[in-house]
Amino acid sequence: MAAADSPSAALRRRDLCSRGIRLAGKMRADVVDLLDAYVEQQGLDASASVAAMEGVPLAAVERWDEQTGTQRLQENLAAYRAFRALLAQMLEEQREQLGEAEEGLGRALAAVLLQVSAFAYHLEELLRLESRGVPGEEGDAPPPPPRLSLFEQKLRGLGVLRELAQWAVRSVRDLRQLAKPSPAPGAAPGLAESP
Amino acid sequence: LGDPQNLKCVTHNLHKMLCTWDISSRGRHGQTEFCYTTNDLTPQVCFKTKERRIEIPIPESSITVTIKTSGTALATKEFVIHQKDISFVPVTPRILSLMPDFPTSTLNMKWSDNGSVFPYGLDALWQIQILRKEAIEVVTQVAYYSKLTHEDIILSWNWTSDMPLECTSHYVKIRCYINATQFVGPKDWSDWSPAEVIPGKDTEPGGSGVFPLDPVVAVGSNLTFCCVHEEDQRITNMTYGSKSYKMMQLSSRSHAIRVLNASVSNSSGTNVVCRLENGLEGSVVFVGYAPDIPQNLSCETPNFLIIKCTWKPGRPSGLYGERRTKYSLFERTSGKNVSCEVSEVNKDHVCDFPVLPDQKTYDFILGVSNPIGQAQTSLLVDITQRVHPKTPEKLTVTGNNSTSIQLRWFINGTFAGIRLLCQIEVTSSHSERKLHNVSVPGRKSSAYTARLNALHPDTTYQFRVRCSAADRFWRWSDWSRAVEQTTAEA
Repeated sequence: MAAADSPSAALRRRDLCSRGIRLAGKMRADVVDLLDAYVEQQGLDASASVAAMEGVPLAAVERWDEQTGTQRLQENLAAYRAFRALLAQMLEEQREQLGEAEEGLGRALAAVLLQVSAFAYHLEELLRLESRGVPGEEGDAPPPPPRLSLFEQKLRGLGVLRELAQWAVRSVRDLRQLAKPSPAPGAAPGLAESP
Repeated sequence: LGDPQNLKCVTHNLHKMLCTWDISSRGRHGQTEFCYTTNDLTPQVCFKTKERRIEIPIPESSITVTIKTSGTALATKEFVIHQKDISFVPVTPRILSLMPDFPTSTLNMKWSDNGSVFPYGLDALWQIQILRKEAIEVVTQVAYYSKLTHEDIILSWNWTSDMPLECTSHYVKIRCYINATQFVGPKDWSDWSPAEVIPGKDTEPGGSGVFPLDPVVAVGSNLTFCCVHEEDQRITNMTYGSKSYKMMQLSSRSHAIRVLNASVSNSSGTNVVCRLENGLEGSVVFVGYAPDIPQNLSCETPNFLIIKCTWKPGRPSGLYGERRTKYSLFERTSGKNVSCEVSEVNKDHVCDFPVLPDQKTYDFILGVSNPIGQAQTSLLVDITQRVHPKTPEKLTVTGNNSTSIQLRWFINGTFAGIRLLCQIEVTSSHSERKLHNVSVPGRKSSAYTARLNALHPDTTYQFRVRCSAADRFWRWSDWSRAVEQTTAEA
């Protein structure tokens, strides 16, 4: 069990958490806008149900309350690293398929990719603050996706953006949870706790 | 009792005929003696057989046949067979190969015409049937003509389906009719060949999906899309873009829709979506135009280092990204080919081609292609007659007195070997705009100078310069930036 927070560490953590919350909030708004533009531009049905796709991290989590702070950060980090790779893939496919047409969508996609990268870096900061080693990226690199048909690519893009919007919501809740002052040892889990 | 009857003779090759007969009653039958003689008093030819069929040569005119059966009862029957009684039925053709080309939904069939069994010059008519739905529904029947040449020729035939071959199994059968005009007997079609099949994806486990997959087609096409699904999956609907279409059932695992006169798709393509009870299958179709023949192809050189060709592309293809229209510039004399980086979105189409050593005349072919079609245009040009210099730069005043001024400017490019004609525009507040032409020998990436005389003392002038080729003028460069200078006082 790590020692209780020093005042400066607690202050730094709350600052990082609140900035992270703002980042996640902005990201979510942009992802929702991007999702609308994507659905329209790709000619998809906004209500289409998309099966869970390999490599797309699911925001839904069981027993969210019981997660330790470190678990929250590590799961968030793994997810946003995965989204970084998925969005980069979508951007590449966008250029391949559309070239210079629909540059607006390409720019919006690139902007969200930047935010996801920034948020991942922010999560690494938080993990470093808690002197938790930042997990290396090698293990996280998603396996190269199977060659999808164009329609499957469109559906995957839809699934990625929908899930990313959900993750942004979850991240705000996670960071709010982390921002709470650390409880005395033995009480409800906070950041210092780890299994 | 036991009389031979119903003697029938059929020929498959116009040389020999196969005669068959019946025996009128059941009883036990032993051997049969089959004898025949033609009418020109040749000796009778006899065979003993247990069969009720025998192959003998076709007679010139007619033959008399005597059939004696032994067994429980001895019976003899005589028949006269005339040539007109012999029917000609070609041998049942056999399909040698049936190959699918899925991307083009084309079947290629090869078969032998068995020409070697016939004399020269016979016309053959083939009927080819394409079937679906367990070879029950005839999709089309096509006639194919050929000439028999006394050799076995492998004939080949292509058929393009109106739907992807993946959608359902396609069966092919063939039969033939030979127009033997000299043969007086009745002529008939051969039997149908055994059906050959190209299995559809609806016969494959896990073969589900929408077909064709991600095709590129021309505007106005009539398209058939099918959704292959698992046996137990119920299909809800199929949409093309935002519109739902009436479905046709091809098999228990395949449904199709027909889209007529497809209109141009947007840049990300038109989605064809098959909604199943527990999922989606889909394809993206790109509907666009074949490239137009490029118009107003024009090539010029700004500096004798590169040749800039421009053209009007015509109607946009509506295709983007990896399906966009691509351009290449081929020069026949040198054999050099350059692929052009052309932006789909902005309007100017330009392609650079290197000036080649010791080559003045260029025989260009501008090739343009996209997945739907291709076109080209050509241009023969002498680049010494197509000099369009770059804008003169660094225009400066290098000499100045009360009535004359010396100007100096720089032009990027290798103009050694030609003369340049440069025009200097002189403007001042109290005199009209004047243009002075000066001809200078071209040089390699060099500065040029000119002196203007008869100016007014203590007067502020603005100067600009542009240049072109002196011999065989083509186009002026753009005007340089202006420079202002006041002449010295008198």
